[in-house]
Amino acid sequence: MSNAINSDEPAPPALPEDAPLPIDARKTHVAAEFKHDFPLTTCRIDPTGRFVFAGAEDLNVYRWSLTEKKEGDKPVAKTTFAGHESWVRSMDFSPDGQWLYTGGYDDHIGIWRADDAQPKPVKMVEAHKGWVRWVRVSPDGQLLASCGNDNLVKVWKLPDFELVQQFEGHKRYPYAVDFHPDGKRIASFDLMGVLKEWDMETGKELRSMEAKFMWGFDLKFRADMGGARDLRFSPDGKTLAVAGLTEVTNAFAGVHKPMILLVDWDAGKHRQKLKVDSYKGMAWGVRFHPEGFLVAVGAPQGGASGALWFWKPGEEKPFHTVKLSHCGRAVDLTPDATKLTIAQFDGKLTVYQMTEKTAS
Amino acid sequence: MTHPRTSPIALFSMAAFLWFASAALAAEQQPVHQRIDSLLAASHPQFASFAASRCSDSEFHRRIHLDLVGRIPSAKETREFLDDDTSTKRETLIDRLLADPRHARRMQYVFDEMLMARMPATNVPDAEWRNYLRQSFLANKPWNQLVLEILSADGADPQLRPAARFYLDRNFDVDLLTRDIGRVFLGVDLECAQCHDHPAIDTYLQQHYYGINAFLSRSYLFTNPKNKQKQLGEKAEGDVKFTSVFTQESSQTNPRMLDLPEIPDPSESAKQYLVKPDKKSRGVPTYSRRLKLGQAMIAADNIDFRRNIVNRLWAIMLGRGLVEPLDVRHEQNPPSHPAVLELLAEEFLQHNYDIRWMLKQLALTEAYQRSSYAAEEHRETAAKNFAVGLLKPQSPEQLAWSIMQATGAADAALATKEAALLKSDPKFGAGRTTHPLWREEALHDALKANVDQFALKFAGQNGQTTSFGATANQALFLMNGPLVDRWLLPGSNNLTDRLKKQTEPTALADELYLSVLCRKPTVAEVAEVTEYFQTVGDRDAGIQEFVWALLSSAEFRFNH
Amino acid sequence: MRRDTGCNAIDHAISRRAMLAGSAAATAVGVAGKVLPAETKQLATQQKRILQVFLQGGVSQLESWDPKPGTRYGGPFRAIDTSVPGIRISELLPHIAQRMHHLSIVRSINIKTNSHQQGHVFMERGRRAGVFPYIGTVAAKYLAPKTASLPGFMHITTRGLNDNTNAFLPAEFAQLKLPGAAAPENLKHSGKLTADAAKRRNELRRRLSQRFSGKVGQPAFTDSYDSSYTLADKLLAKKGLFEGDPPPKELERYGSHPFGRNCIVARKLLEAGSTCVKVTHHGYDTHAENFNFHLEQLAEFDKTFCMLLDDLHDSGMLESTLVLIMSEFGRTPKINQRYGRDHWGTAWSMALGGCGIKPGAVVGMTNEEGTAVAEREVDGRHLFHTYFRALGLDTTDHHDIPGRAIPIGDPTGEAIGELLA
Repeated sequence: MSNAINSDEPAPPALPEDAPLPIDARKTHVAAEFKHDFPLTTCRIDPTGRFVFAGAEDLNVYRWSLTEKKEGDKPVAKTTFAGHESWVRSMDFSPDGQWLYTGGYDDHIGIWRADDAQPKPVKMVEAHKGWVRWVRVSPDGQLLASCGNDNLVKVWKLPDFELVQQFEGHKRYPYAVDFHPDGKRIASFDLMGVLKEWDMETGKELRSMEAKFMWGFDLKFRADMGGARDLRFSPDGKTLAVAGLTEVTNAFAGVHKPMILLVDWDAGKHRQKLKVDSYKGMAWGVRFHPEGFLVAVGAPQGGASGALWFWKPGEEKPFHTVKLSHCGRAVDLTPDATKLTIAQFDGKLTVYQMTEKTAS
Repeated sequence: MTHPRTSPIALFSMAAFLWFASAALAAEQQPVHQRIDSLLAASHPQFASFAASRCSDSEFHRRIHLDLVGRIPSAKETREFLDDDTSTKRETLIDRLLADPRHARRMQYVFDEMLMARMPATNVPDAEWRNYLRQSFLANKPWNQLVLEILSADGADPQLRPAARFYLDRNFDVDLLTRDIGRVFLGVDLECAQCHDHPAIDTYLQQHYYGINAFLSRSYLFTNPKNKQKQLGEKAEGDVKFTSVFTQESSQTNPRMLDLPEIPDPSESAKQYLVKPDKKSRGVPTYSRRLKLGQAMIAADNIDFRRNIVNRLWAIMLGRGLVEPLDVRHEQNPPSHPAVLELLAEEFLQHNYDIRWMLKQLALTEAYQRSSYAAEEHRETAAKNFAVGLLKPQSPEQLAWSIMQATGAADAALATKEAALLKSDPKFGAGRTTHPLWREEALHDALKANVDQFALKFAGQNGQTTSFGATANQALFLMNGPLVDRWLLPGSNNLTDRLKKQTEPTALADELYLSVLCRKPTVAEVAEVTEYFQTVGDRDAGIQEFVWALLSSAEFRFNH
Repeated sequence: MRRDTGCNAIDHAISRRAMLAGSAAATAVGVAGKVLPAETKQLATQQKRILQVFLQGGVSQLESWDPKPGTRYGGPFRAIDTSVPGIRISELLPHIAQRMHHLSIVRSINIKTNSHQQGHVFMERGRRAGVFPYIGTVAAKYLAPKTASLPGFMHITTRGLNDNTNAFLPAEFAQLKLPGAAAPENLKHSGKLTADAAKRRNELRRRLSQRFSGKVGQPAFTDSYDSSYTLADKLLAKKGLFEGDPPPKELERYGSHPFGRNCIVARKLLEAGSTCVKVTHHGYDTHAENFNFHLEQLAEFDKTFCMLLDDLHDSGMLESTLVLIMSEFGRTPKINQRYGRDHWGTAWSMALGGCGIKPGAVVGMTNEEGTAVAEREVDGRHLFHTYFRALGLDTTDHHDIPGRAIPIGDPTGEAIGELLA
């Protein structure tokens, strides 16, 4: 085994044979690829790591097994979750991985048994007037937060979907929500780059912050472009990551640059604005990797060169970039954080492994 | 045939030929302008009875200024002309104005509109193209040479790149070019002949359209990878085939100019290149069909080329084309005075396509120098027969310059420019400011932005017809717009300022009328001015109102 | 015999008929001719008018009149029922859905161009090529009474091309552009001129002009020039239309955004006697984020337009007002990687209603995935004929301008008969 990154460093000690391979983002490679014949809109891996789910432009959600051993040329089986009347752009799970919640552009949240052999929605809840843009389950699994085109952020009690909170205050579409890991607060981010913090106890708005550089007004077309394409707290709750865009020069042609904003949550300050200056397009997904780096995917304005970026907090440029076979729409990590999945515009759901390639 | 000169005209129109022959026999030795008048007079038995009289000196003076230098004359110039007793003063003035640098600017405006129809500049900057035109007219470049340059330009030769604007800013759309080449250079609109022989016009054939098309069909727009400039490349093969949408009959043609013979490709040239076309280089074939277009266009046997331009020059001077609209000549829309058209076309050839010569001949005609005022009962007949001066709407550029001339805005701008030059060049500045070319360019640079504003508001039919229409937006621009309003405010020796200082009523009315309408007021008009001021009460306000009313009057709006 | 080919150029129209009248007449264009006998073509009985809503940039047919939910290119929006059983439109138009019985839909437009400019002029002129008058100009010329108190063709737009809208028709019928809900340019004097002085000097101008015009006797020119001041005066007299903020109640109904305000002005202009009022709603050229942008744009359009439609209906004007909702083209079925849809002239839709139009009809259809017209293909020619036939104008007749006769509608096209009431 050669370690070519820095030849001055001593070779690492040999690993015991049954230990998992160490994470090395630079070694990220394709481990599996699932194909679908419609563009994918998002993807999530369930908390048990058994499945990856993806939304598609054919209005369905699909499930592939991540553990099933591939037999010869036979593709891994794909299971269809049909029930929405529009696209699903956001999904989440109960902490035990038994329940799947899907937020649809048909105003509904779908509730499904995640491992059903022949899935049917257990329930479709009319959650917002206008698209359900985002769904997120609380860390304790008791609540689900959603936001939608009625400009509302709502909190539902699980499993019976009783509405327990409704936060009003966004003037334009909130794009995404996330629970703070302490479970007491919710963050939401809207079209205009307005970031709000809500108190679960009192139902009040705690803070409103702005990230106007993640929004642009196209003077020529008189249109606003902005919003979060992904939103995630770090596991320690100190940082909020917002994926989206910046430097909008032509909204209608999609001319802008991707941006990942890191917010110092306690201080309420922008800690870092991660940009890739040479890249025109959108950042569609972001995750905190437990080893301390960030994973993000993006889609270009033109051409097929989607990107998977790896950032170390504090550094300006990604320390590693993987070119995707097409636009990346979302990224998610396996529970053991050795793998990630990416939903793509060309209908591919790609599984990447962030370790050295193994012989098998 | 006993005609002393053999002429290709005879091939085209026997009737025209006979007219021309008889007129020519009788008038062979006369100057061309007199022969024009003879032909016009002979075209109607009662011509003399309805023809308007010769225009007054002030009418002529204003008219010739507008036509040749694109703006009205100053009060001072008008006074001098009226006071001049020389019998040849009109001809002297024509010569002087044709040699004036402002004439080249006027021609630049006219031909820019004719050739480019005010379309946006995308590949060749406006300023370069306009400068190319103006320099051509400053040098009195013969029309055939100018057209040869325009139709042969490929955009690669830096010297002639501006000339390539005709092609490049039409994005080398071959169908658009075919149509515009027909309209602008030949006076025929072949658009419908693209799909079928013209259903209503026997003379417009599909082969005419595709004959012109075939000169260009092998060429294409090429982006020079080095400087990203658009240029023309050409392939060495490709033929033009066409099918009628009615008869489904197919045919094929080589390049040809309307009814003239097809131009065969030289056999040895097939598929041969000087530069092979690829991503990095524009194709240059050994034999270029495109380069044949300019040559075929200006060839002596292509009489339609000359008919078109002389008709357009006639329309500029006389107010309406012999063929009208200017781009729709065909059997069923023949010239109103075919013999005149043929005479002009032939003499234009004899005089080496000299535009200034032609304009002078037209300006010397009695037809040009007739009054716009005809007795009421004769008006219609006189107008049809060029026996009365026709109204010519001022172009946007003429209007802008005329208003700036009348109000004194032009003089003020020039004075500022002169002062600046004297300051920056104390040694030779004084000498340079007297140079007509310097004065023209300095004035133009100072006031170009105003002219552009007028062009935006007043541009209309883009040079293909002499018809006229006015809009509410234009009226509002003159009534309430900041430009005109500013020029009406009293300022360093401008018109309102001069009028303010003039206390004697007749002298005031004189200055007012001479400055704006380029003529002396009648006695009744002098009284009207005085009376108006009395009605207003405030004399200064009255002056501005009166100047505005004159500037906005029909007498000012039209060249007459 | 001549085939009427409907080809577009002006010279087609320099007809033998005109020539038989004598070549001199045919060439005396606009010079000695009398002012046109426009009255002969005017519809004397009742003034009819047009409200033209132009969704600039190309509205997506899939997000409006021809939804295909659940198909390959259907996008995320659903179709909803309307007040006309059997007609379903996009959920982005809920207010229109309730008023579908006032409108009809054409779902089979193929203009064979994907260029904004070409599409726009084809839809306006009803001719694929050549310079012809726009819908509004034709309406102004033939539908406006001589006594109309406003220019016949007014276009409310915050942007827009400098179009030659009147072509060979007199310039007084050209569009008068209003920059949004604001007054036309130069409606207010830029300096210190009092109203009295303005009136006084304008009367002087008229007197001076008349003296000259009487002597030269070329009314085609001098009358047109004078009429430009008359039109300007009419606008000035109606200055009040552009002054002051609309009442809060109206703004609440129409929306306080520019399109809402523009539509309030449009209604006022129609009520005040303008013959064609065109309102352009910008922002449909969605090469990126088609769905997010259509969500916002159409929400604005749907509600506001319906308030205007209601007001026309309630005042009884709808019967005599042709309402057009059009674009220069539609948008590609294929959704690109920016969630955009691109230019698409091949298979798209528009809606129309009011005067002379059979309500609640759907003409034509596209195929299952919306990639082609499946039935009853039409283009700008047929639509142009349809509008004016609905308004009672014989579009096979000719523009009778001195020396020429030019067919009003393209002779190769004809009206869509099933749309005519």
